[in-house]
Parts: sequence; structure tokens; C-alpha cells
Amino acid sequence: MLRRRALGLLAASTTLAGPARAQDDWAKVADAAKKEGKLVIYTASIGSPSLKTVTKAFEQKYGIAVELFEARASEVRERVRVEQAAGRFLGDIHHNGSTTTWLMNRDGNFQPHGPIPNIKNIVPPYEADDIRVPAEVISYALMINRNLVKPADEPKSWKDILDPRWTGKILSDDYRALGGGAVFFVVMHDTFGKEFLEKLATQKPVFSRDIQNSERRVARGEFPLYLPFSLQDTNTLKGLPIKPIVPVEGRPYVRFDLAMLKNAPRPNAARLFMNFYLEPEQQIIYANAGYNPVVKGVIEKTIEELRQLLATKALGTTVPERQDAMLEMAKQIFK
Amino acid sequence: MVTVAAPLGERTASFGGLWRWGRPAGIAALILILCFLSLYPMVMLLYGSLHSTPPGIAGEFNLNGYINIATTENLVVLANTVGISLVKTVLALALAVLLAWIVARTDTPGRGVLEVLITLPFFIPPILTATAWAMLGNAQVGTINLAWRWLSGSDTTLVDVYSYGGVIWHMMQYSTPFIFLFVVDAFRAMDPSLEESSRMSGATRWQTFWRVTFALMLPVTTSAFILSFIRGIESFESAVFFGVPVGIEVITTTIYNSITQRAQPDYQSATALSFAALALMFLLLVMQSRLLRGRSFTTVTGKGYSPNITRLGRLRWVTFGLCIVFFALTVALPIGQLLLSSFFKFFGFYEADMLTLEHYRSVWENSGFWRAFGNTMLLGVVGASATMALGGIVAYVTTRTRWRGRRLIDLLAWLPWMMPGMVLGIGFLWGFAILPHGIPIYGTLWALLLAYIALGTPVAVRVTSSAYQQIANDIEECSRVHGAGWWQTLGRILIALAWPAFAVGWVLIFFGIMRELSASILLYAPGTEVLSVVMLKMWVSGKPEEVSVIGLVMLVLVLLFRWVQLKFIKKRISTL
Repeated sequence: MLRRRALGLLAASTTLAGPARAQDDWAKVADAAKKEGKLVIYTASIGSPSLKTVTKAFEQKYGIAVELFEARASEVRERVRVEQAAGRFLGDIHHNGSTTTWLMNRDGNFQPHGPIPNIKNIVPPYEADDIRVPAEVISYALMINRNLVKPADEPKSWKDILDPRWTGKILSDDYRALGGGAVFFVVMHDTFGKEFLEKLATQKPVFSRDIQNSERRVARGEFPLYLPFSLQDTNTLKGLPIKPIVPVEGRPYVRFDLAMLKNAPRPNAARLFMNFYLEPEQQIIYANAGYNPVVKGVIEKTIEELRQLLATKALGTTVPERQDAMLEMAKQIFK
Repeated sequence: MVTVAAPLGERTASFGGLWRWGRPAGIAALILILCFLSLYPMVMLLYGSLHSTPPGIAGEFNLNGYINIATTENLVVLANTVGISLVKTVLALALAVLLAWIVARTDTPGRGVLEVLITLPFFIPPILTATAWAMLGNAQVGTINLAWRWLSGSDTTLVDVYSYGGVIWHMMQYSTPFIFLFVVDAFRAMDPSLEESSRMSGATRWQTFWRVTFALMLPVTTSAFILSFIRGIESFESAVFFGVPVGIEVITTTIYNSITQRAQPDYQSATALSFAALALMFLLLVMQSRLLRGRSFTTVTGKGYSPNITRLGRLRWVTFGLCIVFFALTVALPIGQLLLSSFFKFFGFYEADMLTLEHYRSVWENSGFWRAFGNTMLLGVVGASATMALGGIVAYVTTRTRWRGRRLIDLLAWLPWMMPGMVLGIGFLWGFAILPHGIPIYGTLWALLLAYIALGTPVAVRVTSSAYQQIANDIEECSRVHGAGWWQTLGRILIALAWPAFAVGWVLIFFGIMRELSASILLYAPGTEVLSVVMLKMWVSGKPEEVSVIGLVMLVLVLLFRWVQLKFIKKRISTL
């Protein structure tokens, strides 16, 4: 009896001491990070104002200088690969789409990040593991030109884009190449089956790979419909006659991940930044820019016009293992 | 021809000790430099094409890369690429030669100003002119088609830039001024006595132009043709913007797909395809060499002369009109669109409530832009000067000596031009990264500088060798007879006479550096960003208006450079 009580007290004291100890440990991480003095991030999020705001806030809070190497996903990947092969370990954090991150993890380009307190706040369907930490989410919708599409004709479901009225009138990101188009293709395939995509091919969508220009082509009235539209572009296009629509089935999405690069020269600063990135104050920056946040309690505080779009159902995302097979299928269907 | 070339062996022997002892060392040094700049990254790429995995990953040597590219699909792509490039180069060459003749050899009014204006499109980032043309020439709501429908009352489409025609037209806007820059000074540096002799022998004006003027221009026109044709094969922006949406694929879009558009980048196929294209381009070079072999193209002799100006009479207003039409189509329309757009909130939306100076303010206050601007200016000035120095020496060795090893030097200097930029960038990345860590190149400005020198050397060599070929040997001999040394003769005779070509080459390379992205994006490090990288960041993050502002800043710089350059050329010609 006595023994059980003693064990109970010990357990209680451990529970009470746990957070305190964790806090103590984390303070040590922060101190070590400050001594490291710098953080180098390799990111595929080129020119992102949100990332810049978050890194500035991190610099101000901890006095740790952040350097960004920004390039396209495949360029970041090759740069990391060749640097590590040559024994040059220059970067600390890698920030890229989940497919590239998955491939690089398979190739052994990362190391475990260790305990990060804010990981506990991540909400499903997003989840972290010992290597990857979800950062933010790009969500895809439809975009219409308000001058060309009457409210009554607006698509409500993804299936509505198969209506003959849209034949030859859809501008789309290319499904046959990595990017938003490929994400859309996979999610539509998994949701509605191959037949949906074959019917979509008969709609003769026009492909383009320059997303920014495509959105403006629709805004100028060249096409009434663009898909898939990245919701983070909503703010950039404010003032143009366009409208984003998330169909009733939900939004395809693709996650951006943070991971610690192998032999990162500043591992503590990297951990500190990962934890900082998951704080609600940083996540709300992304949410107000049109990205889905990955932690709880943020979406409710997002600005009204974006909240309605972001609070919709997450329909699905890409599966890295099947990516090349799906790109091949897209080439067959959309010749 | 007016001069007879002196035996080169004789000429070189007279430079005394420098030639005897310095020559082998100089040749060896030149070969070493060129090997590092061009052969080294190419060897890395060759390894990539023959190995199942890129450097640093375990794999095996095989020919799968080359086997995989031998498909009907790729043959169609190859035919497309060659066809598009050939058509655009022929059209651009014809137009450029005509414009150069008008500007340099006729009394067309305002030709000094026209010369600057005609070359402007070359210096604008292609993505900007593509955007401008997408607004002007799209089938649905393009400004040209809307104007056509309004004027004609029909609902037909006059132009559609999303087509073969659109791809060729967009490429021509770069090729025409590029070739023009090459040939215009060659037209100017021509002793009129050659043409006068032809006229006095009874030839018509047209026969004289074709058999004398144009024939004498062969080295420069064929060089410009080949440079432009090869660049056409490697062109990416026009095809990806106007071709891919309608199913027109070219070699570079296929390479781009292999590297960036698959979950697992296929470097082996991409590099193998690039080497296949390189073999094709190499054949062209052999053809040019055969075409020019054994012929003399001397037009600048020791005699004083001033370029012959053809008086066109009333026809000069026709030639003036032609230049104005070219200017209006390739400069005023797209640049006007850019200028207008830079004052509105959104590109192409011209409403009073959207007027703003925000884009200018935003660029002005962007510290990243200024850092990149500083880096780019430094790299541009140092890079263009170093490249022209290297190119000038290489051209001298290959055109005015018979040194053993000169063909190898010529080939080494050509190599970087024959590899698409996006692939060569990977070669530099692989090459510089595996250097011993004690050599401070990787991750520094040196990496960018060396890549830029390698990329610019082919242009520098072509520009200067074309100019050297026009200078008679007697001038050089005269210098020697009067006791000048090798360096003195090089500096005070050859460079002094060929310097308009040097100036053109310098400007071409300087602005080539300002625009270069493929290698820059792979080689820059935090703190060494350059303008092209900053522009990519702005473009991807949805700020084409700010990219326009930077494009316009670049244009102002071009105008300044060209004005200074032409001012000096005029001064030089009046003193000849």
C-alpha cells in the first residue's frame, strides 16, 4: 500500500516536474541556438513575403540571423544533394513541398530533428514524424472571371467543370508536370476515378505552366475558368474581377514541410526555428496570406474572406510513391 | 581583295623572345584556363550522361541516357527545334542585315537614334516581352485582335501568339537586334574603295551589295547566324510561353521536363539530349569553317577612309519608315505596355483608380534588390571586361596566328555556347562543389564570375575575331617595323582598330550577365544574389509589375551605355 502510494507520488511529481523540466531543456536549446548565432534555410518557397515576415520575427526574438537560399524545388534538392556528396554541410533547414521532402528523406538528406514542443499542436490530416514537420499548406480551388461567369452558372462541384458549357474555356496548370496541376490530377483521380479525368480531357483544357500569368489571363477575360487556383494568390489578385470557389467536395492540398538537413552545422537554431514556426503567431501570418495553417486554434482567427475558403474540407493530396505513374497517366489521357 | 596577307610564320617570328619563350607557356596557360572554364563542367555533364546517377551517388556506367532519347517523340521535338530556329534565324538575319545597312551605310534620317532604338528589345528580359505579347496578341482579348475587330467589323482573329508564328516572332525580337549589333560595325568598318571599284567595273548597286558588300561580311554574318541559330536551339522562354500551351515542344522544354517536372529528375536523359544537340551544333561550326576557309575578308587597311554613305534620295523615307515600323512593332508596343503597366496596380488593367507609384516605391525600398543590383553591377563590369580580355586573346590566337593548338583553343572557347544554359548550370554546380574545400569558389561571387566568363567567352571570341579578320596585316607589320612590341601592337593597333567590336561585345556580355538565370540560380548563395534571381523571386510571388520596373531600369542603363558607346564610335570614325 505504502509502496503504491510512494509510486503514485513519484508519478505525480514526475508529471508536475515534466513540463518544468521540458521548459528547462528548451531554454538550454534556445541558449545553444543563440550561441550558434546564425541559421541557413534552403527553401523552395521563392520570394514568399510570409516566410520573410516569420524569419524577421525569429531574428528579432532570438537575435539569430537567418539566411535564405531560395530556388525551385528540384534546384534546392540538387543543391543539397551535391553539397552533401561533396562533404559541404552548409544549410540547417530544408523547406519544400512534401513530395520533394519525401524523396530527399528516402535519399538520406536529413537527420532527426529531436523533440519540438509545438508539434503537439499540429492538427490532422497533417502530421509530423521524427524527420518532417508540417509547415504550411497550399490549398487548391477553382477560379472564375466574375465578368464572364454569372452567379447562377458558377461551378459548385468539381463535377460541374465537365459541363459542355466549359468546353475549350478552361485554362489549367499542366497535369503532366509536377506542380498544382499534378496535385489536382491525383486528387481528382482518387476522388472521382479515371473516368472523370477522361471526360475532362474531352473538355479540351488549355495548359500553361506559368501560374501567375495564367491567373491574370483569366482576370483579363481570355478564359472564364482557371484550375487549380492556389488560395494564397487570393490576396495578390485583390481588386481584379476574379473569384475563388472551393467546390462542395473540398480542396486538394499539398503540404510544405520543414526538415533538418544532415549534419546541419547549427542544429539547435534549426530546432528553435521549427518550434517557432509552429507557434500560432507565425501560423496566422500564413493563414492570413491564404495558406492553411497546420496547428489548432489558428483558422478561427483568420481574416473573414479567407476563413470561409480555408475552413473547407481537405479533399486529398499527392502520394509521392505514385507520382511518376500518375504523371505518365496524365500524359496518356491529355495528349 | 585589297591586301595580301603576309606569311604568318614570318610575322610571328619577328616578335622576338616573347614569342619564342612566352608562346608555349602562353598557349598552355590559355588552354588551362579554357579547360577549367568550359571543359571541366562539360566533363561533369558527360559523366552525368553516361552514368545511371548524378555525381556523388552510387550507380553504374551505361548508355541508357542516349538509348532513351532515341524515340519518335524526340525526333519530332528535334525537327521542331531545328525548324523553328532555322526559320527565325533566316528571317532575323535578313532583317538585321537590311537594318544595319540602312543605319550604317545610307543617309536615312535619324539613323543615329534609330541604331540605339532598334537594339533595345535584346536587353529586355524575355519573360517581360512574352507577357506583353501575351496581352497584345492573344486570340480572345488581345489588344491587336480587339483593334482589328473594331476596325474591320469582323469577328475573326488577326494574330494568335500561341502558335509556331508566335514562338518565332518572340525569338526574332531577340535575334534581330543581336545580329544587328554584330553586323552594324562591320558595315561601318569597310573601305568604300572596294565598292567603288565594283561600281566602276560596271556592276549595278544591287550586284555591288551582293557580290562585294555582303560577300565581305561573310565572316561576321555567318558567325552571327551560327551564334543566333544555336541560341535559337537553346531558347526556352518563347517555347514554354507560347508553344507548350498548344503542344509545341522543343529540346529545352523536354530537358526542363526531365529535370524539374518529374518526381525523380532524370539527369542522364537531360544531359544525353544536350550532348546530342551539341553534336548537331558542332556540325554547323565545321560547315562555317569550310565556308570561310582560304578566303580573305580584309576591309580595314592602312589607308585612311571614311565609310561610304549611299544617298537614297526619296527612298530614304522608305528606309526610315521601315525602321520605324520595326521599332514600333518590337519596341514601342511591348515596352510601351511595360511602361504603362508599371504605373498601374495590375499589369494590363488600365483604370484610373488603379494608377500607382507603388511598384517603383516597392523596388526602391527593397534591400534585396539593391544588394543584388550591387552584386550584378560588380559581376557585370568585372565579368564583361575579363571575358572580353580573354575573348580578345583567344580570337587573336585563332585568327591571326598559326600557332599549334589554336584550333583546340577555338573549340574550347566555343563549348559553353553549345550547351543549353539550364544544363550547363548543373555542370558548373557539380564541378565547383566537388573542388577541394580550400579553393574558395563554391558559394562565393567567384563561382558566378567564372560561370559568366565561360558563358560569355564564345560571344567575345566571335565578335573580336570577326573584327580582326577585317584588319589588314600590313598595319600590324607597320607597327612592328616601327619597333613596337607584341603587347603594344595588340593594344595600340588591333584593339584600337577593333574596339567598336570590343565595345559591342562588352555590352552584349554585360547585359547577358544581367539576364543570366540558369547558372545563377544554382550557384548563388545567401548574400551573393544577383538581379535575375531577385526578378525570379518577384515573378513567382506574383509581382510582374515590379519585374517591369527592373526591366525599365535595365533599359535606361542600356540607353546610357549605347549612347556613350556610339558617341565614341562617331568620334573615332571622324578621326580615321
